[in-house]
This record gives sequence, structure tokens and C-alpha cells, in this order.
Amino acid sequence: MGIFNFSKKDKAKYIVLGNRKYTFEVGDEGMVKVNRINHDIAVEEMTHNRFELLYKNRKHRSEIIEKKQNKYTVEINGNRYAFSIETPISYERKKMLEKKSGASGLVVTTAPMPGKILEVMVAEGQQVKEGDTLIILEAMKMQNEILATGKGVVKEVVIKNGDSVMKDDRLIVIEKK
Amino acid sequence: MKIKSILIANRGEIAIRIIHTAKKMGIKTWAVMTAAEPNALYLSEADEVIDFTENTSEVPPFLDVERLVEAAVKHKIDAIHPGYGFLAESAYFAQSCENKAVIFIGPSSDAIYKMGNKTIARKIAIKNKISLLKGSTRHVTDAEIAMKEAEKIGYPVIIKAASGGGGKGMRIVRKPSDMEKNFRLATSEAEKAFNDSTVFIEKYAENPRHIEFQILGDKHGNVIHLGERECSIQRKHQKLLEEAPSPALDEKLREKMGNEAIAIAKAVNYSSTGTVEFLLDDAGNYYFMEMNTRIQVEHPVTEMITGIDLVEQQIRIAQNEKLSLRQEDIKLEGWAMEFRINAEDVQAGFAPNTGIIKRMVIPGGKNVRVDTGFVEGAVIPPDYDSMIAKLIVYGEHRKKVITTGLRALGKIDIQGLKTTVPFFKAVLHNKAFVDGDFNTSFIETEMQSLFHQEKDEEMLAAFLSLMDYLKEVADDSVLSADKSSPWLFNKRMKSI
Repeated sequence: MGIFNFSKKDKAKYIVLGNRKYTFEVGDEGMVKVNRINHDIAVEEMTHNRFELLYKNRKHRSEIIEKKQNKYTVEINGNRYAFSIETPISYERKKMLEKKSGASGLVVTTAPMPGKILEVMVAEGQQVKEGDTLIILEAMKMQNEILATGKGVVKEVVIKNGDSVMKDDRLIVIEKK
Repeated sequence: MKIKSILIANRGEIAIRIIHTAKKMGIKTWAVMTAAEPNALYLSEADEVIDFTENTSEVPPFLDVERLVEAAVKHKIDAIHPGYGFLAESAYFAQSCENKAVIFIGPSSDAIYKMGNKTIARKIAIKNKISLLKGSTRHVTDAEIAMKEAEKIGYPVIIKAASGGGGKGMRIVRKPSDMEKNFRLATSEAEKAFNDSTVFIEKYAENPRHIEFQILGDKHGNVIHLGERECSIQRKHQKLLEEAPSPALDEKLREKMGNEAIAIAKAVNYSSTGTVEFLLDDAGNYYFMEMNTRIQVEHPVTEMITGIDLVEQQIRIAQNEKLSLRQEDIKLEGWAMEFRINAEDVQAGFAPNTGIIKRMVIPGGKNVRVDTGFVEGAVIPPDYDSMIAKLIVYGEHRKKVITTGLRALGKIDIQGLKTTVPFFKAVLHNKAFVDGDFNTSFIETEMQSLFHQEKDEEMLAAFLSLMDYLKEVADDSVLSADKSSPWLFNKRMKSI
């Protein structure tokens, strides 16, 4: 978690949820422009959606891969991360809604590409953790392992061995813990 | 007879590699255009292009023996270079070339056939007293015989397809009760993949190192070796990172293994480039595995430490020249590593991704060589493998290569696809790798994370997304007043 100060007055807090929860405090000035935001992190826009970030004397190349309202996918140094941007209020609302619906977060794993289900490695009710193999999908002449992105319990196994799937088809639903 | 023209029966980076040396030698090059990539880079490097874009048969163009040999005859091309993969190890292709008086740049069809069949290769190795893992001594036609053979050899054993390779038709059996099921699985996989269900049983060496020797032979009976390559960084029997020499070999072991590699090559009158594969256990025992009768993907690391152009040697040997090098001329200097930059998503278990290379910057330089078949704007075709480029790094010693490697990897900028670059950064930061203390189980057992994350990179990515979001929000006049006022938030909710 990092708390990031821009200016001591007119602070606005934002919570960015990724693999971890990041809290940023933002000041009014410098928020519209992208270059030279702060002496701690310098951001330079190279081309559309491509940036170079300078932090603690290290350069990082980054690109915004996808954005939908407050959901972002960002690639940095060749790795991708997904985020959702919340204000403290929307974050509390989100937590409250999750509690109400009884689900602390359902994660639906979908097929990254068309292929054939070679083997389903988990069953409903099974505990999984990040990195566990859920499914072996045969595609592009290779066997691909579909991994769990976090800890949880398998709620639903939608497909079975031998099924053919298209890109984005639902495969497994995990209740995140 | 001097070769004046070569048809390259291949594509991508190896086609370009062959063209470069041919150009150097003043040889005219012919490349084959396919429907899968009519704008591929290798086509613009060749002198002439033959159009195979029309679908004239069920056989894919680079596997169409008749079509390729006919094209060489029609255009009066002296020789065919098969590259690696495709028809490089097809005895039938080599024979067909010979039948039509087209020079095949590779070994004889007889040598290809003998080394291509594991059972025959084993028999030849036994006859020549080559160090081998204990294996079945008779035809294994059913699970019962398999079990009897396994008892003689001692568990754990591995069932292997006689005509196989690349991990297919292979099953490890640790106890007798697992034999029947695994025998069934191995034979059916072998039948499907190689049209030959014949298998044999071999002692299974647990977590060995994969060490291979580069062989060079001429058509006059001379054979030398150019040292070894260390190829233990593998995932599911697919090599990812190779280096030369191996941190596990000293001069004595190199000499012993090198001599055995030469012996097996001589036993089949081997000519051209070839690779003899060994398994090395941690007690220093080595065992012959198989021989690859072609030039290999990872040949550049050997070229870097010996200063020898292997494609040039292939061409000279093919035009009947005697080897100009003797074993004592071969000196291994410095160290080299090759990183296979594949279009694979390491965060998703190395899942291949296709797409357009929106941006590709892989800087070469002093001691950094880049072999690639692609340029910006190219599409990675789903018909072939996922390799974008080979990054080859040289240095005076291993530690320097690692430092140069990390720097070179840091400069790579590829957009539009995920690549194995973060994986290699993780390997080069890994202590066991840096110490040279690893074997084929490395990826599975020694890596805490398969991809390298720079310190704070996720926080920075989060920051970037927030910045972009606020910029979008600021552009939206409705919310430009107070971004986080609960009153404004409720007001918006009501209006929806």
C-alpha cells in the first residue's frame, strides 16, 4: 500500500485495486497534464497510450492495454496487471454490496483462445490458490495450463473433458476468499 | 562442384540466417512464399522467390517433398537447405534430392534414417561401446514384456516411442502397478503422433542435465566436435535458454563426451552439422540420448565461442570439400547464451499469443546478436511456432554474459504481444542459475516466480491507470468540479 502526496491542500483519495490495494492521495494541480507530475514519479507520454515512468532512478516502460470506465489493464516491463479505480465511497459501497449478495467476489475464468478441454483438474468445492492449474486447454498445437489467479473455492465447473470452447467461453467460477 | 544456388526449404529467422551466409559466399538464394505469410521478412532477403501460395495439395508447403524438389529442378537450383524442423530430418526428402541430382545440404539419407530411429540408434551405440542408459533388449510389444524388461532395468523407467521425439509418446513409470496404463497411453500417443506405435523401455534418469555436442563431419570420413551446449532450461521438453559451454563440464569430461559424440557420428558415416545429445547426472555419469541430424535452433551459441560459421561449413561440406579444421584447431573462447523470445504469456502459464507486432525494438550491439524473422507490423502466424526472435549474448566469462543479457533484455520493447522476456529476467536473477547449479528440473523446482517483477512496478502501473482515469474524468465536464464529493456522487446516482 502506498500513500502518495501531491500537495497538502485539496487532497483527494483514490483506491486502486489490483493484486493489492493501493491508496493514492491526489492534489488539484498537475492532475490534468501527464508530464512531470511529481518529483517522485515522472511520467512521460511517448505515443498514444504508451508511457515511460521514472521512479527512484529507474525507467519503466508501460502501456495502457485496455480501459473500460474504471477498469484498467496496464502492461509494465512486459507484465500485465488489472485494476479497478475506486473513490473511498465507491469502495465502501462495493464492499457493502459484496457482503449483501453473500459473495466476496466471484471470478469467472474464461477461455483465452479457442481450443479443446483436455483435462479439468479441479472439482466443485475444491480449494485453490494462486497459480494452481485449473484446466489443460489444447490450442495452437500445444497444451496450455489455465491457472487460478487467486485463492478461493471452485463454485462451478462449466465445461468437461473433451469439450470444444471458443474464446471468452465460461470455464470455471471461483469464489474468491 | 561448387554450389552456386540454394533453395531454402524453410522460413523465418533460419531462412534469413542461411541467406546471410549464402550471400557472403556469393551464392544465389531462392526462398519459398506461402499463403500463410506472403509478406514475410525472409522473402525480401532472398534473391529469388518461388510462389507456393496456391494450394496444390493437402501437404503443407514446407513438408511437400515433391513440390520442393521439382521447384529446384525446374529452376536449375544446385542445392536445397532444409533448415531445422519441417523436412530437415526426413530421410525421404534427402533421398529424393539425391535421386534428382539436387545437393541436399545435410547428412546422407542413410545417416538420417539410422539416427532418426531410436531403436536403431541405440543398437549402433551399443555396438560402438557408447555410454547408454540401460534399456530394453527386445521388442516390447505388450505391457507384460514391458514389465519384465522394466524389472531387469530397475524402476523408475521411461517408455519411449521408437520413432519419436519432443516429449510425445513418453511416459515415466515408477512402479509395476502403473505399467499397464502407461504402456497403453504411450503406444496410442506414439501411433497418433508418428504413425508407429513401437516403443522401448529405458532407465529413467531423474533430473539430469541436458548436454549436447556440436558435430561437424565431411564426406571424406573426417569428424570433429565443436564443444557442448547446456540446454537444461526447458519447459515440457521445450528449450528456452541455451548456453555454451556448460558450467558442469571440465576439460576432461568434455574430451570424454566429445570423443563419444565423434564415435557415434563416425559409426553412421556422418557428414554436415549434427548434434549428439547426452544426459548428465550429478555424479558425472553421462548417457547417450539421441542424435539430431540437422542444424539446430541454438547453433549460434557455439558459433559465438568458436568463431565458426556453421552454415558456411555445411555448404562447404555439401560441395564435397574436406574439413579445413582439425580437432586441435577448435578453441572455445568466452561464453554465450541464447534466449528464445517467444510470443508466450508467462503470467498465463506460457500460453501462446498471436497477433500483430505493433512495435518491436530488440537492440543488438557489441556482443549482442539478434536473429529474427519478423519486423514491426508483422503478424505472428498461428500455423508455425511462437518464436519472435533469438537474443544471443556473448562475453569473456559467464557472469559478464548474465550482466549483458539483463541489460539487453531490459532494452527490448515489444508491443502487441506478451513475450518470454520477463521469464528470462527471472532466470538471470535466480541464484541457482547464476551459480551454474541447475538441471532439467530448474523451471519447476528452482523458480519462485516464473516472471520477473521490477520493484514497485505494480504500484507504478496502478498510478498510471489512476492518472489516465483522472485525465479522462477531467475531460468530462460533468465531473470537473469536485471529483470525490459524496453529494455529487449521489446526485449522479439519482439522475440515472
